[in-house]
Amino acid sequence: MSEERKKILEMLAAGKITVEESEKLLAAISAPEKETSTTEPAARPPFKYLRVVVEPGPGSETQERVNIRVPYKLIRAGLKWASFIPKDAQDKVCETLQEKGINFDFNRIKPEDIEELVSQLNDLTVEVEGKEKVRIFCET
Amino acid sequence: MLPMMLKMRIVGESGKRFRLFFPVILVWIVLFALLLAILPLVLLAAILTCPWGPGFRLLLIYPLLFAVLFNLSGLHIDVQNARQVVYLKFT
Repeated sequence: MSEERKKILEMLAAGKITVEESEKLLAAISAPEKETSTTEPAARPPFKYLRVVVEPGPGSETQERVNIRVPYKLIRAGLKWASFIPKDAQDKVCETLQEKGINFDFNRIKPEDIEELVSQLNDLTVEVEGKEKVRIFCET
Repeated sequence: MLPMMLKMRIVGESGKRFRLFFPVILVWIVLFALLLAILPLVLLAAILTCPWGPGFRLLLIYPLLFAVLFNLSGLHIDVQNARQVVYLKFT
């Protein structure tokens, strides 16, 4: 119980305030608590690194290990180079994807979309366990 | 921040080892000088290709390249199997 709540109840018990007054006071001190509880949790800071870790699984014959750490800002900077992909190449990629049954148009992707996509990688965690254990995750 | 050092280690299948601890800042100095030297040519190319080609988008190469270089710091690649190792780290 908070100190304020205790004081109000003590005052009520001592007869210094009425039941209605104590009710009002209790409502007043609980209001900010409700407000803070309804606010959205603070946005998580963007991750610092994208990690790709591949380790040999229990039944693996090869002893291949991969440990890659790519800075988030490098990914963002690298993606901006996409604007230099010639239009013809983009069209060819789209055609090939459509042949494979993937209806995806690169021309519709705007730089803002890429920014948002990368910023949402925060929640990305991929874990694949087979002959090799593959983990892709973000590190802050 | 611009990476200052490059740590590299390569072990080949034949057992040959290559280890390098290189002050990569030296490369950046040369690269920046080179970029500055070719700037008039890039400008000319941008003006000439303006009607049909990439045009002034060519000038974006500079900020984009700097963005990549300045964010290389922290890049860490470590790939190995029983016989081969490739290790690369920018610090």
